[in-house]
Amino acid sequence: MDREVLTIVGATKNFGGVRALNSASLTLYAGEIHALLGENGAGKSTLLKTLAGVHRLDSGQITLDGKVFQQGSTRLAREQGIAVIYQEPNLFPDLTLAENVFAGRQLKKGKLVDWNQMAQEAQSLFDQLGVALNPRARARGLSIADQQIVEIAKALSLNAKVIVMDEPTAALSSQEVDRLFKVARSLESQGAAVVFVSHRLDEVFALTTRITVMRDGETIGTTLTLDTTEANVIQMMVGREVTELFPKSEPNVGEVVLSVKNLSSEGLFEDISFEVRAGEIVGLAGLVGSGRSEIARAIFGIDKYSRGSVQLCGQTLQQFSPSQAMRAGVALVPEDRRLQGLFMAASIAKNSSITVLDRIRKGFLIRSKSEADLAINWGKTLQLKYSEITDPVERLSGGNQQKVVLAKWLASNPKLLIIDEPTRGIDVGTKAQVHKLLDDEAQKGLAILMISSELPEILGMSDRILVVKEGLLQREFSRAEATSEKIIAVATGAITV
Amino acid sequence: MTKYVAKLLNIREIPVLIALLIVLVVTGIANPQFLSRSGAQDLFLGVAVIATLSVGQTFVITMRHVDLSVGSTAGFTAYMIGKESGDHHGLITCLFVALTIGLLVGACNGFMVAYLKLPSLVVTLSSLWIVRGLFNQIAGGNTITDFQVPVSLGYLGRHSFLDVPYIFLIAISLVLFATYVMRNARSARDLYAMGSNPPASALAGIPVARRTFFAFLACGAVSGLGGAILLARFHSADSNSGLGLELNVIAACVVGGVAIAGGVGTPLGALIGALLLQSITLALGALGVSQFWQLAVNGTLLISAISLDRYLSLRVKPTRILRAE
Repeated sequence: MDREVLTIVGATKNFGGVRALNSASLTLYAGEIHALLGENGAGKSTLLKTLAGVHRLDSGQITLDGKVFQQGSTRLAREQGIAVIYQEPNLFPDLTLAENVFAGRQLKKGKLVDWNQMAQEAQSLFDQLGVALNPRARARGLSIADQQIVEIAKALSLNAKVIVMDEPTAALSSQEVDRLFKVARSLESQGAAVVFVSHRLDEVFALTTRITVMRDGETIGTTLTLDTTEANVIQMMVGREVTELFPKSEPNVGEVVLSVKNLSSEGLFEDISFEVRAGEIVGLAGLVGSGRSEIARAIFGIDKYSRGSVQLCGQTLQQFSPSQAMRAGVALVPEDRRLQGLFMAASIAKNSSITVLDRIRKGFLIRSKSEADLAINWGKTLQLKYSEITDPVERLSGGNQQKVVLAKWLASNPKLLIIDEPTRGIDVGTKAQVHKLLDDEAQKGLAILMISSELPEILGMSDRILVVKEGLLQREFSRAEATSEKIIAVATGAITV
Repeated sequence: MTKYVAKLLNIREIPVLIALLIVLVVTGIANPQFLSRSGAQDLFLGVAVIATLSVGQTFVITMRHVDLSVGSTAGFTAYMIGKESGDHHGLITCLFVALTIGLLVGACNGFMVAYLKLPSLVVTLSSLWIVRGLFNQIAGGNTITDFQVPVSLGYLGRHSFLDVPYIFLIAISLVLFATYVMRNARSARDLYAMGSNPPASALAGIPVARRTFFAFLACGAVSGLGGAILLARFHSADSNSGLGLELNVIAACVVGGVAIAGGVGTPLGALIGALLLQSITLALGALGVSQFWQLAVNGTLLISAISLDRYLSLRVKPTRILRAE
């Protein structure tokens, strides 16, 4: 473990105004499994995608096996010896598994694709991984775990010098994880460098030789796994103190607004029960994929659930009826505002008034004057920055777009606001405004259920915090007892409760 | 046994083939004239142009794109061959004219879709009109009549080998060749990958822009060839030649199992689709059903094909988040 395979020095990358990487560095040795850790938005993905050939650095140097690494082409990256297993499998559902393994570089005999050879090689890779998959079957309908196995087979077949695994275990069962560990160790012993990204610290400590922690686009430090502890690593990941950024007032807790009982949906979440009262902000924390957003969608009536009930102020909400939920007083600000929260090409006025068209219509027609007035009023309240109220929302910045989503839902006078990732991709200034607004509304008696991947936000804004892991409600913390370390520990299963 | 039946039914072309056989047999029993030598020739002649054009369309639809300009290109080519070649020229000149026009249109479409990243629906709708407009300007009210059709081409349109018209033989050779290539050439396999999962194909290192360009180029070239066959078949051409043909071509592809969402299908399937649509048209005639029903039947067939496709692609197991411990 002394030969450097890959070195990254001074890696910097901006997306628009956002600095995703800030002079980050990383060194990988031949024959090691190297953990790359950090919170969401720490820059891990950008760094990995640069290695994969998806992004090109603004500045900085990457050396692979003593040569300058050619950036910006996935094909070149592969040819230079880098294999990437993405968190989300990238299979071609209509192609056979064998063809998926060799996608973009099908084996050939003369000028033609050699189907038999490909099937044989895929079969031997599957055997090596200990899975019974038919290389001639199509990929459509495979479980996520099996898809991940095909991705792993693909990476193995490349004989790469550097193998990047971006949360490969998120969808795997424990036996499959064990098998993956065996594969990683055998790659290690063959002299490859394996980069392992995972939020499960137990796995990181069981598998890796070294750990590098990133935060805010920078590399915080690299240490031997044996020389550190989970607590230390969490400290490095979280870093900053949770500051006064969060304008949270003492809550005036009122009646129960939302009451969820034994809510279950097969394969997604199990037996979820909790309450949210008027005037309080309840934080829902957990890893991406833990079932957080799915619970929110089920409450709002978008997705089905097999058991349990949802009540709003004593009234039972039906499944599959977002419009009933809306009438009862539920508002859902979804996690992806571009896809689910806004009509990007429509005007600010149209977007803000969409939930209250009944109030501003005259007969069958919408009065555009009332539409505009409504939007302008909300614009003032939310300190929205725009030039014309008739401009399409796609022209606004991310933070201002989020304000329009909020305006649209607050205009409907909800009793319960479910907000998924309230400040994702928003600059710090606007973030504070959004937080202030949430606090104000809670003071006025709104019940808020807030889902967030950002721990400072969860800690700073919530009166109570619910932690979900793998579809189960693991634990509830009061505002006073909650710390980032405790939440990460519960969410990752580093400690069991 | 049932395993083999299931396996056979899994091949997308098989249900269409069965439907085709049913139409042929049922109509043949009701009206024996339908399966006679001249009935078969009607079917083959009627399908030759569509089958040729659907080869190029299959390349394009497989990538989750569409080419609406094939009808205009084919009609324009048919006219230009008659206008430029005259009857004293041979097949080589015809081919040259056909490929020049086809490649030119294909290159324009391909460049705009692949490199300017414009949506293919709009790009090819524009080229449909541009080519048709140019065609109208050049042709005016003129008609290419029988004596202007190059003798060699006219011969292919009138004669048969063992009762199978030459132009159908040409079309089917092209279809078989293209099907073989699409199954076994790496570049063609990439088209399936691109249609099946566009973002993943870039991550897999597939040169997406280059493949897109060449697929449109090939579609253009095939459309030019289709124009030559169009002229051979009808022995005449005017500014209405090939009008609306693109819709029949797309219908043949979709009915034949080339999914409009990309990723699956073969030119052979599209040929079977074309045969099915054409035989139903002829069958309605042979059965004495009003020709007015023809379009409605085609529409129903198209909806059925799409519904079947949707059903098959929805049979995907749910993803799991809970860990099976």
